[in-house]
Amino acid sequence: MTGKKTRIVIAAVLLIAAVALIALGAINMPRRTGEQGEAILDTLRIRSLLNATGDGVVESYVAIAKKEATAAAKAAGGGMSAIREAVAKAEEETRARYSNTTTDYASLDTTELSAAVTAYAQALAAYDAAAAEAEEAYAAAHIEEAEAAAQAEREARIAAGEEVGEETEVEVDMSGFVATQEMIDLQAKADERYASVGAALSSIYPVLDESALTTLKETITSISYQRGDTFTAQYDRYIAMGSGAALTNGTSAFMIRYADDMIYIGLALVVAVLVLLFYETLVAKLGIPRVIIGVFFILLCFMALLYDLSLPTLLSNTVVRMGMNSIMVLAMVPGIQCGISLNLGLPIGLVCGLIGGLLTIEWSIPGVWGFLFAIAVGVVLAAGAGYLYGLLLNRLKGEEMSVTTYVGFSIVSLMCIAWLVLPFRSLKLRWPLGTGLRNTIGLDSTNFAHILDDFLSFKIAGFEVPTGLLLFMALACALVWLFSRSKTGIAMQAVGANPRFAEATGINVDKMRIIGTMLSTVLGAIGILVYSQSYGFMQLYTAPRQMGFIAASAILIGGASTSRCKISHVVIGTFLFQGVLTLGMPVANVLVPGSTISETLRILISNGIILYALTKSGGESRA
Amino acid sequence: MRKDRLVEVLRKNAVTVMFVLLCLGGMAVSGQTTAYVTYELFGRLARNAFLVLALIIPIVAGMGINFAVTIGAMAAQIAVLWVIEWGVSGIAGFTLAALLTMPIAMFFGFLIGNLLNKMKGQEMIGGMILGYFANGLYQLLFLFIFGNLIPLKTPGLVIMGSTGVANTIDLSTERGFKYALDGIWRLPFGSALYVVCAAVAVVTVVMMAAKKTSAKKGGIILATAAALCLLYQIPAVAQLFSMVQVPMATFIVIGALCLFNVGIMRTRLGQQFRAVGQNRTVANAAGINVDRVRVIAIMISTVLAGWGQLIFVQNMGSFQTYGAHEQVGLYAGAAILVGGASIKRATNSQALLGCILFHLLFIVAPSAGKNLFGDAAIGEYFRVFVSYGVIAMALVMHAWSGHSKKKSQKA
Repeated sequence: MTGKKTRIVIAAVLLIAAVALIALGAINMPRRTGEQGEAILDTLRIRSLLNATGDGVVESYVAIAKKEATAAAKAAGGGMSAIREAVAKAEEETRARYSNTTTDYASLDTTELSAAVTAYAQALAAYDAAAAEAEEAYAAAHIEEAEAAAQAEREARIAAGEEVGEETEVEVDMSGFVATQEMIDLQAKADERYASVGAALSSIYPVLDESALTTLKETITSISYQRGDTFTAQYDRYIAMGSGAALTNGTSAFMIRYADDMIYIGLALVVAVLVLLFYETLVAKLGIPRVIIGVFFILLCFMALLYDLSLPTLLSNTVVRMGMNSIMVLAMVPGIQCGISLNLGLPIGLVCGLIGGLLTIEWSIPGVWGFLFAIAVGVVLAAGAGYLYGLLLNRLKGEEMSVTTYVGFSIVSLMCIAWLVLPFRSLKLRWPLGTGLRNTIGLDSTNFAHILDDFLSFKIAGFEVPTGLLLFMALACALVWLFSRSKTGIAMQAVGANPRFAEATGINVDKMRIIGTMLSTVLGAIGILVYSQSYGFMQLYTAPRQMGFIAASAILIGGASTSRCKISHVVIGTFLFQGVLTLGMPVANVLVPGSTISETLRILISNGIILYALTKSGGESRA
Repeated sequence: MRKDRLVEVLRKNAVTVMFVLLCLGGMAVSGQTTAYVTYELFGRLARNAFLVLALIIPIVAGMGINFAVTIGAMAAQIAVLWVIEWGVSGIAGFTLAALLTMPIAMFFGFLIGNLLNKMKGQEMIGGMILGYFANGLYQLLFLFIFGNLIPLKTPGLVIMGSTGVANTIDLSTERGFKYALDGIWRLPFGSALYVVCAAVAVVTVVMMAAKKTSAKKGGIILATAAALCLLYQIPAVAQLFSMVQVPMATFIVIGALCLFNVGIMRTRLGQQFRAVGQNRTVANAAGINVDRVRVIAIMISTVLAGWGQLIFVQNMGSFQTYGAHEQVGLYAGAAILVGGASIKRATNSQALLGCILFHLLFIVAPSAGKNLFGDAAIGEYFRVFVSYGVIAMALVMHAWSGHSKKKSQKA
């Protein structure tokens, strides 16, 4: 009882903090674009400019001093070495004199400079917008050419026997790009504005002459405007340059800068409060592991926002990865329903699918037909293999899990030998020198790469929707769902739920288990093809070994147990698991750069959830 | 009658027989000299036998093959890391590592045992997945805690510019303890054989004098020892072992473990292992704390596995920080099954025989694959396939016999 009370108290405190943070954020957020934001940026910009030009000023003084020293030495009639010495001495002295004097910024009148710089920044922005537009138009006009060239290069490399990576976004060579008239005009206008900035600066630092201003132009430009500038980007840039001291009210500026982050943290706290308040209900409904993973996923979302990572892109990647893995996860469903529990022997199906894919490439069947052909071959092979596999499992009732794992592993390593000796001929598949098939076989547009992903895909607000993939996933889920409602499906589930009862009612237990196993294996074969087309690679050799585990853990995360599952578990589980992985990688890279922590994360989550399921399913009841 | 028995024996030991044939075939095809094969074999035996023997107790206790020995190996690697960091080298370093391994492995074993108690009947798959899970934690420890949060000073343990402990830990530097155990006392095969035969003879005579061994049995042992020594006098036989250098200390340790395995079964605890292994319900009714006994079995196995990994590591002289432990459970498990053990019964001799056969195949497979198919990789994949296949087959056969028993009881 006290535990609950403390939870409520903590929740209340957190809630107050959350409300305060959100309120502060909400107040400060609009100020960014308002007067205060402008004022802060202006102050910071001017200070950065003055700092930067201050350095230029010292250089100017040094240049003048050097010139004078040379002249003086010459006049005194010294030789080359005397001149050099005098120059060095003068430089040293001047530097010492000016770099130690701190400019009294408060006494400077910067109104003129401020206006000039703002105008200059606006001109630069106008120029940049025009340039971006023109460049885009140029790229659009030349993209086909570039793609054809990239394709040709790729094929040449395959023929030469190099390992070919995933097809990357083709980039148009911009070297032929010529500035448009509009850009030239805008450039001229910007130059004009720069002249007035220069004038304002020289009125502050009289020593700055024409040549010093020219050298400073690049620095001043990059301070004034950079492509894609936002409030936060500019703020961070100026603070990084050490201009923070210019702010008269640092706290309010800080609040405005971090307004969005305050809202995010506030929302995260609200989620935490909700979890705390409904902890018991959540745990009872979902189980501890799902609560942990769900909260972890939400946490990752907020961290992605905090670190200014593009959440829409990450979520869109998550959706793609959910789609590409979903069929393999779906393959777990018939297995669990028919009572063989988690089909960790899934690699048997995967291998069949891979053979289908390989044949498609070998006979270079293009596009959709190739994909369908691969699926057809995979399904036929998987049905046969699944039948035999089902026969084996029928003799091992109650011990399926450990046996299936090792049978799956053995098949994968047996196929490793097969990949080395199978008589495929296509150079896309083989190593031209040496024996056997490549480790990873790159798919390209002549095969079935992205054939589902790109079908009817569209983009909203940075969120790319792989329509075809999602449709395929929905279709597969619907079919499996329909099957589970059919007479055979219901009989199969009866066998899974209670084999003795099923036998008593006259259901052929062994037959149902074989059907379930076959279905699971067939879905595995289709699953790996869907996965490969989205990934852009077919992975051979040891790659399929762990995929059974990944699929099993996904459905367990979704809420299934080793003996009970629903289609919704597939969708939720795959989304959560892939979401944690997809978001985990960039967030982890911000925290610990260049680390493999996200791989570690996958190992922990995937195996942890299977262990949890085992502790729930095992125990005395099974002995 | 006799023929039936022969068939029965062959059927029961199908895996072993098949493996003997496979090894003989492999040796014939590989084209390696026998002297080289025996040399390699003794090296591998010294490295791996301890790990395989560590599996026996959990099998007797009815928990199947303890694939969680990988976690014992991790404990050993943690100990090795710190012993190197402290710069204790040689046999002192090895002993320190062994002492350090013990509490770590006992703690891990305690956790494993308690978890496996929650999944009775699924211990093997549970142990395997637990091994994978622990590997994740191990990576976390070695990548982000050691070398970052807890700094390491020894050069070479942490690579500049990358996070965590280096990929390989080298024991052959002056800080390490390569050959600490192996190097104590090495003998050429002939001398080793004489020493062993002499030791056996002395023990047998003493036992006979104390009337613990019957005269007939003692006579057979003495005669065998003498025959072996005589056999070695034939130059052709001696030639087969010409390259072998026997690390006596290591084999003495392995022998000690065999004695331990036999000895513990004669104690009360050993009886409890056996009782729990045969039938948990009956054991429970007899007043045995089943869960506790199982935890103890796993703890002992984990500690032994840790020491086994230490022996392995000191022989190899370096190890892959993030990979050396991964296959330990698989190879040890496959080896013991090859020797004729099942997931319910295992003895020292099965473990040793299995270790010999399994590693024989490991030695000959790559070059046999190369000679047969022109590609060494085939041999590599073949031995991995065999490791998995043997375990799968053992599991299938075990489940199969369990079912046929049930069916015959029903009928």
